[in-house]
Amino acid sequence: MTALLDVDGLTTSFFTRRGEVKSVRGVSFRVAAGETLGIVGESGSGKSVTCMSILRLLKTGGKVVSGRALFEGRDLLALDEDEMSDLRGNAIGMIFQDPMTSLNPTLTVGEQVIETIIRHRPVSRAAARQRAIELFDMVRIPSPEARLRAYPHEFSGGMRQRVMIAIALACEPKLLIADEPTTALDVTIQRQILVLLKELQAKLGMAIILITHDLGIIVEFTDRMLVMYGGQVMEEGLVTAVFRQPAHPYTRGLIAAIPNIADDNGQRLRPIPGSPPDMHDPPPGCPFAPRCPEAMLQCRVPAPMIQAAIGQSSRCWRLHPDAPRPVEQDGRP
Amino acid sequence: MIAYLAQRLALMLATLFAIITLTFFLMHAVPGGPFVSDKMMAPEIAAAINAKFHLDEPLWQQYLAYLGGVFTFDLGPSFKYPGMSVNQMIASGLPTTAKVGLLALLSVIALGVPLGVVAALNRNRWPDTAVMAIATIGVAIPSYVIATLALYVFAMRLKLVPTFGIDDWRGYFLPVFALSGFWLSYVARLTRSSLIETMLTDYMTTARAKGLRPGQILFKHGLRNSLIPLVTVIGPVAANLLTGSFVIEQIFALPGIGRHFVLAITNRDYTAIMGITIFYAVVLMVMILLVDLAYLALDPRIKFGARHP
Amino acid sequence: MTDMPVDPAMWAPAPRDPASLDRIARPNLTYWQDARARLWRNRPAMAAFGFLILLCLAAVFGPSVYSHNYYEQNLQYANVPPAFPTYAVPQGDGSSQEIYFNFGSQKLYLIGADGALGDLVRSSRKDLMRKTQLYTVGDQQVAVDTAKSTLGLSDGKPLEPAGWRWNSLYPLGTDQLGRDELARQLYGARISLAVALVATLVNFTIGVLYGGISGYLGGRVDMVMMRLIEIVSTIPLTLYVILIMVTLASGFSAVILAIGTVYWVDMARIVRGQMLVLKEQDYVAAARSMGASTWRILTRHLLQNTVGPILVTLTMLIPSAIFIESFMSFIGLGVSPPEASWGTLTSAAVETLRTHPYQLALPAGAISLTMFAFNFLGDGLRDALDPRLRS
Ligand SMILES: Nc1ncnc2c1ncn2[C@@H]1O[C@H](COP(=O)(O)OP(=O)(O)OP(=O)(O)O)[C@@H](O)[C@H]1O
Ligand SMILES: [Mg+2]
Repeated sequence: MTALLDVDGLTTSFFTRRGEVKSVRGVSFRVAAGETLGIVGESGSGKSVTCMSILRLLKTGGKVVSGRALFEGRDLLALDEDEMSDLRGNAIGMIFQDPMTSLNPTLTVGEQVIETIIRHRPVSRAAARQRAIELFDMVRIPSPEARLRAYPHEFSGGMRQRVMIAIALACEPKLLIADEPTTALDVTIQRQILVLLKELQAKLGMAIILITHDLGIIVEFTDRMLVMYGGQVMEEGLVTAVFRQPAHPYTRGLIAAIPNIADDNGQRLRPIPGSPPDMHDPPPGCPFAPRCPEAMLQCRVPAPMIQAAIGQSSRCWRLHPDAPRPVEQDGRP
Repeated sequence: MIAYLAQRLALMLATLFAIITLTFFLMHAVPGGPFVSDKMMAPEIAAAINAKFHLDEPLWQQYLAYLGGVFTFDLGPSFKYPGMSVNQMIASGLPTTAKVGLLALLSVIALGVPLGVVAALNRNRWPDTAVMAIATIGVAIPSYVIATLALYVFAMRLKLVPTFGIDDWRGYFLPVFALSGFWLSYVARLTRSSLIETMLTDYMTTARAKGLRPGQILFKHGLRNSLIPLVTVIGPVAANLLTGSFVIEQIFALPGIGRHFVLAITNRDYTAIMGITIFYAVVLMVMILLVDLAYLALDPRIKFGARHP
Repeated sequence: MTDMPVDPAMWAPAPRDPASLDRIARPNLTYWQDARARLWRNRPAMAAFGFLILLCLAAVFGPSVYSHNYYEQNLQYANVPPAFPTYAVPQGDGSSQEIYFNFGSQKLYLIGADGALGDLVRSSRKDLMRKTQLYTVGDQQVAVDTAKSTLGLSDGKPLEPAGWRWNSLYPLGTDQLGRDELARQLYGARISLAVALVATLVNFTIGVLYGGISGYLGGRVDMVMMRLIEIVSTIPLTLYVILIMVTLASGFSAVILAIGTVYWVDMARIVRGQMLVLKEQDYVAAARSMGASTWRILTRHLLQNTVGPILVTLTMLIPSAIFIESFMSFIGLGVSPPEASWGTLTSAAVETLRTHPYQLALPAGAISLTMFAFNFLGDGLRDALDPRLRS
């Protein structure tokens, strides 16, 4: 099966007054049509920058240094700006973290949906309006006709995120990138939004990249997952495989940090000691090595992705056939 | 929305009232001022002053009489020129002041905003540096210095424009330039920083993520939002253009209200000072009200009773 | 790749350095250290700061150190520029006498042997035929054609230019009453800066008290006080200042009173806002329960949190005060002569602009540079104190 999105060796830096911030360092992954890929990782691990690099929406100073991102066989990073903007909001939709700020406060929400449709489809305003009403209905905004004329500040956070989803899905994208779509919402609303996304995926058949901090969301809503740390992919695989046997010490640390799993061992939440690396000057080799309980001298050498199980691989020297088994195996069942 | 307007209107009336009261009592406190009955002056004026200000009556009645005068648009006789009323002074100066002032306001908006946009869009490149350098100069150098320098260079040395008066259309250049210089720079800087800030907001990223065209992103999403803080300064800008015209009219010898005002100050023509101050205050309040209406049209958050952003 | 050979020694556990775990990537400066470092790196702001210090020193010590004073008139030497072109007048004995003719004031001066400005020579007579003025220099007659701006001997032979000379008597020239420009500049700077500083302090005090009381008392008092602020901020300040000055009759204290009571609104708003925040905060309640006095709490916490914005407001306020003072002087409401401020100096220079344009350069330049400096410093301070801009 050919991938819908095939990212290879993506490297992105921010060039600031304090020097180069190496936010993303050689990230590769694939997303198949219709599947859901979850990306987890600590704050600052490069999740958002990865997605924004693919959409070419980096903030000033951000530059993709190298890599490819093939979308339906076309390299997004090589398209000209016109071609790229034809894809954005059309074949690739995006939802952001904070629904309170991601809608324009001075335009009606209807206008913000309609302008997207008119931009990408050769339809009349009236038809676009009709479509916007359907979309609002689809994302379960009550009395859609009336709500089209309302301004963002008249909506609650959850409702605004529904509007964002309506905008992202306006042109039936093949890929939806959702960057922490529920982090800013109440817990009960979070579930509603994610369930809605899942339903819409079943209906429209798009692939989803779902960025989150919450491993619970990964387990429940995604098929495959990517664990990022220090701008690199630490581990990648089917969600079931990774949770059954996490291959990277960092993944193990993350899983051990979930309260209800750790509770089985009679332990409380265990945060991973230490803090994330300085991306101005990341450590050589594995970025996690300075915090890793199993670090070896070899960990200063950049590790390749090594297959751990079927549909699971990890960037850890411990998976090397010659590597010794660690003395103590944290967080393993 | 009605409530908002009513509140603003009430504030404006209160301010106006405060200004009139302050003016009246300050003028009353002036030694040898208009409200002291025993003074040396042309009997004609003394009679007019007495008739107008009821100097023989108690203070509060004088105050009420003056208030009544103001609200019937009668600002009383001049304190220095026999037979001249403050109303006549204002009427004679108004066309000049209004023409120069409006042209200056126009150039502030029509030049300041585009310059700011150009700078913001070329952030940290040469057009930005150039606009910001000029704007920094414009903000730092006082208007009367700009005016005299311009007068010296363009009128006296190069003789491109007349040194005084606006009988010739070229006579408008220097006064308008000198009057608008500071605020033009200020508006350019404000537009730039406001637009840059807007560009960094999440909803601008959303606009780009929707694949909108650059023009749409800039004008429909970017400028609209960054103009909101600008609208709020237009009121003060108008106020300062008015008061700025005092020196400009003086330097270029324009027969405007500002010149009458400065002359009145020099001559201690107290009734004229009082009347013109109040006239200015009324004009300003009307300007501020207009700006409020514009603000209302631009920012939907107010319309629906939400708090000020 | 999995069969990549690895040196077996490398499989040894890496040495662990527990301290390095908590190492924080960026040196962890305190807010103030960080702000100071950023301000220090800001070249224009630091240059401006240096300039302002020099200016203050000059304004404080200049007038007492400098040989001339600001009020002494010497009409003989009125309107002399800082540098002037001289001409050599050949004498009968073979020597020559240097002269300088001031076309602005139509005066001819002899130049001493030391190059300094010497005596004034009165015009001996007018040659109405040739439209020239005749002056006696030594044993020669010098004819000045004021229409053509040329100097010649009485026989029509043009005089030889003898180059430019600096005015060693009055380094920056004199004004229309023959007072030393440099002395007046220094004195003007002193007045302008003093007005600005005192007025700013008055504003600061009023603002902090008003905002503090309003925020501290809260409730209805706060509401009324804030309404009042709204009214005050709608009053056009220039008009208010003019009214006060007209009432009080101009002079130093009138200027200070007028300017000192108009610009406190921003300060009051900042302080009130902080006060409201403070009242809500737990640590204040905690400090109070531990017996700290209200006053102590207020001064410590309030100051800590408001010093940044207040500093920025103050740096922006000083130039406004300087500007408004000069503006008032310009329309005849400033300090009264012979006192001088940048405003009165500029205004005097405008009167003689046509004939002696150089007189404008000094006050206009001084005030513009000072405004620049305060602007740069204020911008620098704001950038340094605003962590949002940290990058
Ligand atoms: N505009 C920028 N300028 C400089 N550095 C940036 C910028 N944006 C991101 N970075 C850096 O890039 C790295 C990755 O940031 P990114 O936003 O992708 O993290 P994230 O994984 O999305 O974190 P979070 O979970 O907090 O959203 C961080 O180290 C961050 O400091
Ligand atoms: Mg992120």
